[in-house]
Amino acid sequence: MSDRPHPFLIAVAALVYFFLMVPLVIVVGAALSDTTYLTFPPQGLSLRWFENIFEISAFRRTIVTSLQIAFLGTLIALIIGIPAAYALNRFRVELPKWLGTLFVLPILVPEIVFGFALLKSLTVGAGVPIFAALLIGHTLLVLPYVVRVISASLASFDFSIEEAAISLGSAPLKTFFTIVMPNVRAGVIAAFILAFITSLNDVSVSLFLTGPGISTLPIQILAHVEQFFDPTVASVSVLLMFLTVAVMAVVERTLGLTFLAK
Amino acid sequence: MTQPLDIHAVSAHYGTTKVLEDLSLSVQAGELVSLLGASGCGKTTTLRLIAGFLSPTSGSIKLGGRDLTRLPTHKRDIGLVFQNYALFPHLSVLDNVAFGLKQRGLGASDRRKSALAMLERVGLAPLAERTPGALSGGQKQRVALARALVIEPPLLMFDEPLSNLDAKLRVEMRVEIRQLQRANGTTSVYVTHDQEEAFSISDRVAIMNAGRLMQFDRPEVLYRQPANTFVASFVGFENIIPFTVVGREGETVTAETAGMRLRLSQNAFGAIPDTFLLATRADGLMVSTDPAAEGIPAQLGLRTYLGRAYQYQCETAAGHLVANGSLTAPLDPGTGVKLVPVPEQCSILMPDEAR
Amino acid sequence: MTKRRFPRLQGATGWALSAPATLAVLGFLLVPIGAVIAGTFMDPRGVFAPYISYFNSGFRTTVLFRTLQIAALTTIISLIFGFMTAYVVSRAPGKLKSLLIIAAVFPLLTGVVVRAFAWLIILGRNGILNQTLLGLGITSEPLEMLYTQGAVIVGMVYLFVPLMVLSLVGVLENIPRDVLQASSSLGASPIATFWQVLLPLAVPGLIVGAVLVFTGSFTAYATPQLLGGERQTVLATLLHQRAMVSFDWVGASTIAAIMTVITIAIVLAMSHIARRINPMAT
Repeated sequence: MSDRPHPFLIAVAALVYFFLMVPLVIVVGAALSDTTYLTFPPQGLSLRWFENIFEISAFRRTIVTSLQIAFLGTLIALIIGIPAAYALNRFRVELPKWLGTLFVLPILVPEIVFGFALLKSLTVGAGVPIFAALLIGHTLLVLPYVVRVISASLASFDFSIEEAAISLGSAPLKTFFTIVMPNVRAGVIAAFILAFITSLNDVSVSLFLTGPGISTLPIQILAHVEQFFDPTVASVSVLLMFLTVAVMAVVERTLGLTFLAK
Repeated sequence: MTQPLDIHAVSAHYGTTKVLEDLSLSVQAGELVSLLGASGCGKTTTLRLIAGFLSPTSGSIKLGGRDLTRLPTHKRDIGLVFQNYALFPHLSVLDNVAFGLKQRGLGASDRRKSALAMLERVGLAPLAERTPGALSGGQKQRVALARALVIEPPLLMFDEPLSNLDAKLRVEMRVEIRQLQRANGTTSVYVTHDQEEAFSISDRVAIMNAGRLMQFDRPEVLYRQPANTFVASFVGFENIIPFTVVGREGETVTAETAGMRLRLSQNAFGAIPDTFLLATRADGLMVSTDPAAEGIPAQLGLRTYLGRAYQYQCETAAGHLVANGSLTAPLDPGTGVKLVPVPEQCSILMPDEAR
Repeated sequence: MTKRRFPRLQGATGWALSAPATLAVLGFLLVPIGAVIAGTFMDPRGVFAPYISYFNSGFRTTVLFRTLQIAALTTIISLIFGFMTAYVVSRAPGKLKSLLIIAAVFPLLTGVVVRAFAWLIILGRNGILNQTLLGLGITSEPLEMLYTQGAVIVGMVYLFVPLMVLSLVGVLENIPRDVLQASSSLGASPIATFWQVLLPLAVPGLIVGAVLVFTGSFTAYATPQLLGGERQTVLATLLHQRAMVSFDWVGASTIAAIMTVITIAIVLAMSHIARRINPMAT
């Protein structure tokens, strides 16, 4: 085709991608360094800083907490979010418009404000245990993504298929699981992954909802960086990146990656 | 402003698939030529090659002696009417029409004057300040037409311009397009898959199939004298019957097919080869109950009512044929009849070379 | 839509199905945040006392303007580079295009802490950039790049450029190809087509991208905390510091209220503008 972009634009795009990729490469390099300080290119190759992650009990504990919170929070968000997304699409005529807007609202509120508000009302105000408050915070954090992604895949679902199944004698609840769910499976998987990663990486909401003995991995990384400047954090970062790559590979296998760009 | 278009030995590929093979086509100055065929026949590719959205792998395209082959689209000076109108949604109707004039460096007031005059011609001047989103399909089509015409291009091209309109509007618009094109005398290329549209609007029609030009002629010739079996069945010859010549007496040739002999004059058909195909529409085969008639013995099958005649599906030793019979004496399925070819409604084809 | 025989009953089913999520958003999000904002107006010193004392503090007003400035610069830089990059990505052939999209998605899925940390290694006093500059003899002593506004903006642009690229690629791909072809068939050069057709049609997308980046960088915590430190305190770090270090609940709530109001005001204003100038809407 004759509409090839101007060489100047191609050069800018190449620079932007260089700018995007290089810091990540540097983190990987720094994690593999044998030195006790952060450096790049790595001097001597070693996996000792990866071992160090698991020798520091704070990292061990927060990795477990982060995975627990991300998994449970996503699960709860799916359990309450899927029926809501279904209702918003299936009963679009019967339900008021603002109900749909309500689920977009959490995106408009600054996360850090949300975290602070939960601290004030739940932990301090109502004495809710920290783990529970953290779980509530993360559930609400990912709920909009869940509702939006699943709504998007339900929007293209033809509900007359569901009516056809019911007319053929299938009970409504059974129809939901045998007819509706298989058709929005891709949406559910995408929602799960997006929610899980969002929760796992969250700083702003978790910031206020940590306490003695309970913290998440990103908060622990922040605390560690402010005290030490050794490659441990680089190694944790690489671990998180590997996790992301693994998740992206799963998405690629099941849905194709351009799905995430939507 | 009117110039001839000359496409010479053009081939095009999409990756490894050939979409156009060795196409040569000349459009005379002021002529309207349709490219007609099913989707994938290469007609749209040809248009995109002329417009410069695609580059040919070989061959050349010339417009009035100017070689377009390597020229970028915006320097080709071609008016293009798109299938989906392709109006600029952010500009008013007037600014849409004036867009090409602006690119040609015309001042604002001249642009406005010419664009308004053109909108007047297509009857849309009152809507000049609207945005395209507020227009109906037919109005959008007129804006697209005005936008392409106002730059007074030496070549005008239409890419299935009426396919998104309803049937009544389609007929109206094609008359209007033809009138505007005639009035300006602009050389035009018109792509369509609608045979009636192509035949009604064009000076000449190029029928295309699988990236090749099958026949290029006036609609009247295409309709009566198809050059090959593809064009014959495309323009509606239902019956294509193989014959073998068994005798020649002067200009009269006697040929034979399953169960019948037929006498044909070379004065009417030109030189007739030893084996040929006789192509007819259903109207060109008379259903005769006279056992003495010279025709193909047939067993009648399903009868359908066409309004002007009954149509019969017939089984014969020459295969399945379709014939029309009179309204006065409907015949029942199973009746044995003779199918008599009417020479004036027949066309003679060479057997196609093995493909 | 025609054969809804029991609309009332169906409405009830809809309400019941969406109830858990609705109640969760109301009870755990709207009410707590509403309480925080309402609390700032119940100060014994007067209804607007917390706001008066906020804007009377030179330091805190500086923080507010610094935060706005950082967010604005981040948005502008991300818009310019994001748009150019998105244009190239949207024109790339199929295989390369998916690769470029993956390369933009990957940093987005990597956490903010990790991405801010990467710049800590690069911009630090003994960081890679300083080592390189010293090694090449461009400077004789290490530059102080960390804890400057520039460092925060670099970190923020790094955070948000992929978001901008991805949302603009979608917008650019939705611009019908034949409209651009119509433009060049009418004699517009590629540059004229860019300015007169492509850019105007991309404006609504640019606004959406700008809103995402502005609100994101206006409320970001980890990047200014790591790359800006106390010298580049922004609203988010100030909020955390007031609440968790000084235990100044009223001060923290005031900051929270200011952040929320500005964020929502910007989102509403921009989406209003976007809707008004959207040429695709009739």
